[in-house]
Amino acid sequence: MVLHNTPGYKIVNDWLASKGLHPFLFQEQAWQHIINGKSGVVNAPTGCGKTFSVFLGTLIDFINKNSGNYKTKSKNGLQLLWITPLRALAKDIGRAMEEVIAELGMQWKVGIRNGDTDVAERQRQKRQMPEALIITPESLHLLLAQKGYPELFRSLQVIAVDEWHELIGSKRGVQVELAISRLCHLPNERKPQVWGISATIGNLEQAREVLLSPLKTMGELVKAEVRKEIVLESILPDEIEKFPWSGHLGLKLAHKVVPIINNSRTALIFINTRGMSETWYQTLLNIAPDLAGAIALHHGSIEQELRIWVEEALHAEKLKAVVCTASLDLGVDFRPVDTVIQVGSPKGVARFLQRAGRSGHSPDAISKIYFLPTHSLELVEAAALKNAIEENFIESREPMTLCFDVLIQYLGTLAISEGFRPDELYHEIITTYCYRDLSEAEWSTILQFITEGGTALQQYDEYKKIEVIDGVYRLTSRRLAMRHRMHIGTIVSESMMKVKFMSGGFIGVIEEWFITRLNPGDVFTLAGRNLELVGIKEMTALVRPSKSKKSIVPSWDGGRMPLSANLGKKLREKFNEAFEVKRATKNSNSGKRDIELEVLKPLFQLQAQLSHVPRADELLIEHIETKDGYHLFVYPFEGRLVHEAMAAILAYRISRITPITFSFAMNDYGFELLSDQPIPVDDTNVMDLFTADDLLTDIQRSANATEMARRKFRDNAVIGGLIFQGYPGEQKKARHLQSSASLLFNVFSEYEPNNLLLRQAYQEVFDQQMEEVRLRNMLERIQHSKIVITFPQQLTPFCFPIKVDSMRENLTSEKLEDRVKRMQAQLER
Amino acid sequence: MQAPVSYKLRDQQLWLSADRCIYWEDEQVLIVSDLHFGKTGHFRKHGIAVPQTVYKKDLQRLFHQVQFYRPRKLIVVGDLFHSHENKELELFLKWRNDFPHLEIDLVRGNHDILHQDWYRQANINVVDEELQISQFRFRHDKEECSHDKANALKTGMPYLFSGHIHPGVLLSGMGKQSLRLPCFYFARDFCVLPAFSAFTGTWLMDPDESENIFAIVENKIVQLQ
Repeated sequence: MVLHNTPGYKIVNDWLASKGLHPFLFQEQAWQHIINGKSGVVNAPTGCGKTFSVFLGTLIDFINKNSGNYKTKSKNGLQLLWITPLRALAKDIGRAMEEVIAELGMQWKVGIRNGDTDVAERQRQKRQMPEALIITPESLHLLLAQKGYPELFRSLQVIAVDEWHELIGSKRGVQVELAISRLCHLPNERKPQVWGISATIGNLEQAREVLLSPLKTMGELVKAEVRKEIVLESILPDEIEKFPWSGHLGLKLAHKVVPIINNSRTALIFINTRGMSETWYQTLLNIAPDLAGAIALHHGSIEQELRIWVEEALHAEKLKAVVCTASLDLGVDFRPVDTVIQVGSPKGVARFLQRAGRSGHSPDAISKIYFLPTHSLELVEAAALKNAIEENFIESREPMTLCFDVLIQYLGTLAISEGFRPDELYHEIITTYCYRDLSEAEWSTILQFITEGGTALQQYDEYKKIEVIDGVYRLTSRRLAMRHRMHIGTIVSESMMKVKFMSGGFIGVIEEWFITRLNPGDVFTLAGRNLELVGIKEMTALVRPSKSKKSIVPSWDGGRMPLSANLGKKLREKFNEAFEVKRATKNSNSGKRDIELEVLKPLFQLQAQLSHVPRADELLIEHIETKDGYHLFVYPFEGRLVHEAMAAILAYRISRITPITFSFAMNDYGFELLSDQPIPVDDTNVMDLFTADDLLTDIQRSANATEMARRKFRDNAVIGGLIFQGYPGEQKKARHLQSSASLLFNVFSEYEPNNLLLRQAYQEVFDQQMEEVRLRNMLERIQHSKIVITFPQQLTPFCFPIKVDSMRENLTSEKLEDRVKRMQAQLER
Repeated sequence: MQAPVSYKLRDQQLWLSADRCIYWEDEQVLIVSDLHFGKTGHFRKHGIAVPQTVYKKDLQRLFHQVQFYRPRKLIVVGDLFHSHENKELELFLKWRNDFPHLEIDLVRGNHDILHQDWYRQANINVVDEELQISQFRFRHDKEECSHDKANALKTGMPYLFSGHIHPGVLLSGMGKQSLRLPCFYFARDFCVLPAFSAFTGTWLMDPDESENIFAIVENKIVQLQ
């Protein structure tokens, strides 16, 4: 069927034309595939009609099939299931869809289903499903937990998965995979088509494979050839610090941000951590008091109503600037935003692009983003980013595999609605990408776990969860079913505490561990205010406003992403050019040079003079002796997590040569081993110390995998239903069923070491925490590199930021500042 | 397993065991607290699959201690059972029947909510608030002393043995490593026993220098101060 000859296309195209619009090529391509009954992935950036590519395609198909009465035909049952990770987006998408439907004179209904949907609306949906339903992955699983769910999906034509790039690397993505596998195996006349919508990621082909795996089809990949121009401008310090250290330069450059804000309609200032965003907000108000009222703060700990207010004020162009964190990475576009400022390393190319894309929305507008370094070496990252953007060198999002916790939860979900037969379900589950390697042995262990609860004492046991009734696995207890429904989901949050004024009024939420470290009378900062803790009452921290100048800014660890592999690679390549720059000045070799590298020349010269500037095919190791002891600095530029694991492995391997103990420090560029005796690393053994052989065993012997797994296990235990978080509003009553994840971890480690959830925790540590694959790739790269070992007489520009970070822990920030200044003065003499 | 550690308290001979109990030699009494028997069963009944081996090992441990010291009496300083009756308690009863001559005194803890008939059948004497034997007192939660008694604490009352809080200490090692360990906690006028059950967390103590702390490190007792 040729799209252009179909009645649906004509109707939709006329409607677009009446609004002065024309379909993009990629939209027409998607429509053609949809009316051909195909599945696939649409790759398009936000703000250029990606929603319409799938939504209008579904409408065209419906009109084609009902060309006589498409305007009057109502109560068609669910046609389009629209899965979106963002609750906040649902309303806007729904409104856009309703507008189209109304203007085409059709009778379709659009429904929204998520945590905010009220009971009456849910009931209405149950009686009569809307034609289009916008839903989150969690709410979709909740539908699968309802008796009679197959009926709801009987007429389903298209499953659209919006923002698939956001979902794919997470357990929410696994939930989507499982739901698709279920919906595609319902005994309907026609399998639904599946369409993913994704921004550009490094592994787009794989993203398609993962999404469509249950359909057993390759599917189509439709790419929007809309390229947005991005201009990056670094905010340069007036004087380059030759001994940089992180977190310090940023605020010094704050005054340079003020004119940028003044010259913009609206600016978004992205800060990497919530703590620093509080500090930045205060600083901007201090140096530009006239901005008061025109600037706002937005991060994940701020009370939701206030966040919504900020977002609405952004839409209405009431604000000049918003200081924000990743909390504004996603979501609807704010039209008035024309300037984005990134403070500190964005850690990855994709994230930087996403943030840049928050400005300049019309397809042909230029996105302008300023980069403000928090230490001078970060300027190299700006140069590396420019290069990566030019080459479209964007990170991959690795899909997760064999998530036992999500599977255990899913089996509970099916057991409370329709029940399942294990043989049938096994063959269905292994059609997903996540579980395609699930062995029959693992499957029977899981079944044993959910029915018998692992190791038990036979006649003294009353384990009750899933029962087998006539071969069907069911969960019949109403209490357990209710509890299960409340726990559906894969986002496990830290234990949070509400922060409230004595006089009433919420300010936001804050991690419990932070509050419990404070004493009444202590002053801390949240949502841009200084607050004095009065006391804690029923999971609420009561505060009053404080005029105190000194306050504790909570340091949230959550936002500390490691440098991505892609950005690391580009960074190493840039050091090549830093070298060139030096020579270029001699040979007056002209050509396009990055301004960032140009201004950093003095730093590189000093680094070269004291030690060496490593090229992309070199690994630099510095031996430095100070009064603190013997330091070994290594610079792989692979991000702090890989460095943390590598430091532990290297320490272990060295300690096999000679008994020696170390302390570690690391940043995104390199790591340090410090000892009170000389460190025996030289040309003769260095290749063996960096070998990829025996990597796995050495990891297990060196790094504190147990502690890391203990931390990971909390998520697995919550998702897998081992941790009971209590019914809402009756936390106290459930105390007798509560146990900490850490205690469960101990109990399982000792008494049931083969437990699947425990195994998964360790696997996740290797895959995510230590990034084992990346670690291995790094070692293999190093094996083909030249290793340069230098013996500088003093600290170098490269090692200085690592050294400062290692001192940070024991010092308050003021003392740290003083001490760093003294160190810098000594070194520059 | 390391031999028990001797501890003299008000002229009485105590033996501290890494199995989380105290043997009081002068009176031939074995003192334990917070056994939480039936806890794994309680969790499992509610669909939370905690391995029951924990419970089995806990029972075995108690059983071994009784065989080793051959005490006249077992004093449980509260929380012998975790919650309502469940099948796991049958295993306890079976064990109880093997030692008909052992007296068991239970000082009621907040978790001890079984019906009085149950305790009678199990041949357990339940004491509601406080038990006193020669110069020692036993009470589940030391914080629940009424005011005059709290004052009396300072003025040479009999030494108090308590449980309830599952005391623990934090040992910090190299780097950022730290270990949380259960402990015996001896203050001037009272002590707190570690929770006997392995399926319990710990509450971190903030000890004064004058107090004695014995941490339980795997199967050894280490005096920290």
